[in-house]
Amino acid sequence: MDSTMSRRSPEQMAARRDRSGSVWLVQAFSGLILVALLGIHMIAHHYIVEGGLRDYQQVLDYVSNPIIFTLEVLFVILGVTHSMLGVRSIIGDMRPSAGTLRVANWVLIIAGALAIGYGIYLAVALQQLAG
Amino acid sequence: MPDIQPTTDKARPKSSLKAWFHPRGRSISTIAFALNRLTAIGLTLYLFLHLVVLSQLLRGPEGWNSFVSIAKSPIFLTLDVILLFGVVYHMFNGIRVALVGMGVANQRQKGLFYGLVGIALILFVVGAVLIYTK
Repeated sequence: MDSTMSRRSPEQMAARRDRSGSVWLVQAFSGLILVALLGIHMIAHHYIVEGGLRDYQQVLDYVSNPIIFTLEVLFVILGVTHSMLGVRSIIGDMRPSAGTLRVANWVLIIAGALAIGYGIYLAVALQQLAG
Repeated sequence: MPDIQPTTDKARPKSSLKAWFHPRGRSISTIAFALNRLTAIGLTLYLFLHLVVLSQLLRGPEGWNSFVSIAKSPIFLTLDVILLFGVVYHMFNGIRVALVGMGVANQRQKGLFYGLVGIALILFVVGAVLIYTK
């Protein structure tokens, strides 16, 4: 085992650094749930469909299932949250000033909220189109 | 106290993205960490792009089905394969990151890395073959 791994790994340092606000735990648990949700999403949309992608009617039929609808909405919320927290963590590695980090926080919150809002709107609109 | 503090440890990339691409003297763990962050940036960009593309569904069958026919072109399929690599690597290395960060398997993290990334590579190859053949 190399020396860096035997001391403290980057993962442990990231966990220790971010844990004070529980942000790291949200990041980790949302990531673990996303493994399942993204797995379902990719298999359902790209691997079990003949031709590799669902056509319009197949998408509507898929989203009209209430369980699938719920999973897709959960996927949007957790996916966007996980990615925005990840970007924030990467920005933190760049040693930003407190002011830059504050601006970045707001940009990420707004971008994340817009993405989640639009994703939910899209899912609801498609379910309505499916009747 | 803010929950993000400036990096002071030698093992972590310090002040710029450039440090991530400098492999000399880096452990496999640090390289894996940097690759995890690079795939994270790529997947974040793709997430927003994906939401924009999905808006084609609101234009009805013509809009979406014409996109689907474009998405089956060889260039798009190649981009799909690159995306698949990012997804499976980030997914399986992310499991390791979460477990190690929580203090699980600290003494076996190198084996954990090779095991999980090995599974990711197998899934990547199978998925890539399916993308081109399905």
